[in-house]
Amino acid sequence: MSARARLLMFAAAAIVIGVFYGVASAETPSFGRASHPYGDRAVAASLAHRTANVVSSVNFDIRAFDTLGEESILFGTVLGATLLLRLARDERRRPAASERVLPTTRLFGVIWLPVALVVGVYIVAHGQLSPGGGFQGGVVLATALHLGYIAADYRVLEKVRPLAVLDVADSLAAGAFTAMGLAGLAAAGAFLKNVLPLGTFNEITSGGTVPLLNAAVGVEVASGVIVLLAHFLDQAVEITGNDEPEEAR
Amino acid sequence: MPTATLLPLAVAIPLFGAVLLAVAGRVLPRTGCDVLATAVAVGDVVCLALLWPHTHGVATAPLGGWPAQVGIVLAADRLGAGLALLAACLVLAVVVYSWRYFDEPSGERAGVFPAMVLLFEAGMVGFALTGDLFNAFVFFELMGATAYALTGYRIEDPRPLQGALTFGVVNSFAAYCSLLGIGLLYARTGQLNLAALGRGLAGHRTDLLVVTAFVLVITAMLVKAAVVPFHFWLPDAHAVAPTPVCMLLSGVMVELGVYGIARIHWTVFSGPGGVPDDAFRRTFLALGVLTALTGAAMCWQQRHLKRMLAFSTIGHVGLFVVGIALLTPDGTAGTALYVAAHGCAKAALFGLTGVLLDRYGSVDEPGLYGRARELRLVGVLFVIGALALAGLPPFGTGLGKGLTEDAAGHGHPWLPAVFVVVSAVTGGTVLRAALRIFWGFGETPRPRPGEPETTGEGEEPEIRGPRRALPPMMVAVPAALLAGCVLLGCVPAVARALAGGAGTFTDPAAYRAAVLGPAAAATAHPGTPGPVPDAWTGAGVLLGLLSAALAVALAVLATTRPPTWHRAIGATARGLRRLHSGHLGDYLAWLALGVAALCAVIAAQT
Repeated sequence: MSARARLLMFAAAAIVIGVFYGVASAETPSFGRASHPYGDRAVAASLAHRTANVVSSVNFDIRAFDTLGEESILFGTVLGATLLLRLARDERRRPAASERVLPTTRLFGVIWLPVALVVGVYIVAHGQLSPGGGFQGGVVLATALHLGYIAADYRVLEKVRPLAVLDVADSLAAGAFTAMGLAGLAAAGAFLKNVLPLGTFNEITSGGTVPLLNAAVGVEVASGVIVLLAHFLDQAVEITGNDEPEEAR
Repeated sequence: MPTATLLPLAVAIPLFGAVLLAVAGRVLPRTGCDVLATAVAVGDVVCLALLWPHTHGVATAPLGGWPAQVGIVLAADRLGAGLALLAACLVLAVVVYSWRYFDEPSGERAGVFPAMVLLFEAGMVGFALTGDLFNAFVFFELMGATAYALTGYRIEDPRPLQGALTFGVVNSFAAYCSLLGIGLLYARTGQLNLAALGRGLAGHRTDLLVVTAFVLVITAMLVKAAVVPFHFWLPDAHAVAPTPVCMLLSGVMVELGVYGIARIHWTVFSGPGGVPDDAFRRTFLALGVLTALTGAAMCWQQRHLKRMLAFSTIGHVGLFVVGIALLTPDGTAGTALYVAAHGCAKAALFGLTGVLLDRYGSVDEPGLYGRARELRLVGVLFVIGALALAGLPPFGTGLGKGLTEDAAGHGHPWLPAVFVVVSAVTGGTVLRAALRIFWGFGETPRPRPGEPETTGEGEEPEIRGPRRALPPMMVAVPAALLAGCVLLGCVPAVARALAGGAGTFTDPAAYRAAVLGPAAAATAHPGTPGPVPDAWTGAGVLLGLLSAALAVALAVLATTRPPTWHRAIGATARGLRRLHSGHLGDYLAWLALGVAALCAVIAAQT
């Protein structure tokens, strides 16, 4: 197919789909109505388990099985990147060179890296109470470490990220989610059942298993994203083809 | 064990196994990883086998103890549990097949490949067992994410990466469509559970929202099932994926797409406020026939063995879609058996192709001409696999094909002819290749440099190192799979159980009662009661023999006098082949065209 024919065909189809989707969207309930069928049920269920953040309750209690699937996707993605971005037979690794950085930039990194880490931990730990949680906080934690790369150089980043430890942490956190599901099965006969004491509403210990599952996802996302980025950064920074001249990198 | 335990365990076992392998693989030697992976795969087969007796009706497991209106409920009937069992058995076969298959990644990453296979298994089993639409989407994505990476496994060669990329982009595009559709359904009903969605739709008339949501949700399944014109990614991915991965992709993942279409239609859209039966039947019969004929026509023209098998899968998927589009328990029962038997036969054929790749570093039919004379046993198994594909009695494919033909023939007397032609052509193509490769039938093929076709030469062998003896498991596993294919046809209990399961599958009232409670049954159409045929009939045996005879005739004809009648169909065939351009943009344009056409066609019929 020529590029033009392809574009015309896609455009025509996209217009038809757009019209159908537009008309269908007009049929959905309008914004701001009083009836929220699932919202009402989910809030009631969340309050019954003394979880202040209903979104976390949906993610880690009511529909925790979805989250198990989603964190498995992340786990699978990290494994997939390990598989696909392994050192090929015609590639070799060249250690990154140390680079010159402005002292002010370095200072910026030294100050903000710990702050960003604390923010990340806070967001993970308070997922059951306020907006945030394992996914969001995990990404903050992972990006925090990369301040080392931005404010210094790749060698510094390599020092602050113990890849082997993170790789194992990623797997263990993924396994911990499944294990807690099995614990619910053993203790109360239902997979992923919230079996722990529910605590006092709006306290950091409230919500039963929600904070634990939240923490497991936080650890998995943080270490998973770091490992994932490490594979890609290695490809860009350290790994060269055999026949590639060094300066062509 | 109660079903509330077994259902989630079937997903948790492979997930946990994947974690174990990823961690323990860092210290265990290669053999240790293989033993661990095999143990986990066996564990899941046992778990699903224990579940099987509990699936007379619909076995449910409310996860976290939440009811269907709030949380996620797993719900398995015979067909869902059976498909999960098929996936688990094929994963076991693949794990055993690849014991000595790969030498990479080695060292502390030796556990990564089996871990990915187990995650893939968790995705497939979860998809087959879930009773929740969004949860089905999550497992669909888990299947996808792992399958893309497994497809691109051989990183030294640009082709697998291209195939994996096409696979990933096309499937992700369809997944977004699906998510939009789920959003529309959720907006209307405030539900995500399949049974509750069906009940929620009943309060409205069928309008464009329902039609659009149906098409969008089904798009992901159609892409996974490789229904024309959503199929373009499949041959590109199958041709380049490592052989053990092909066994899973073709053997069961593609069929899960067909299962998804049928499951979602019956539970959500089959009642009032859904998609009218006639609209579904006509549309999907047309899609099925188109897919079956395209797959068969393309299969015949391939010389790259894996592409050949991939197109044969498309041909058979077309037949499966016809079977479920009949919307009868008979058609569904026949299709279920056909899918199981086809999965075994197709996985066996891919496994045997892996032997050729291992020995000769090629999967090119003319290139291998007469070279594999020494592999007599492999050749015999290959021929048996081809005949199974053609539907020869007593293979399960023959019984499944016969039952589906019988069901299809009731309302549409011409449909059995499609079944015979498609199974004969696909079986005949594989037989043709087998006769040429293992016995050197016919004249030496001449090179055809001008043809726009994919050769199977220059493939890297998937294993390295000094030439070694053929690992016995690479022949034993395909042989066992073919034996399984025979058993599916010969053990009447299997067909009887699936026939009963098809009765439940096509009974939305029973499903709704099991998931939402007995009071909900009144809101759905009850199924059609009555016995579902589950045994060989005279007509079925005769049509099976006819397909096999036609396949043999086609193969012999093609090897002895190829040029004259090849040329006659050459022009149209070449046009069809050009459409499979390998260009990602083309594939997405076809996908969009398919979605738009389906929206228009179904809207016109409501």
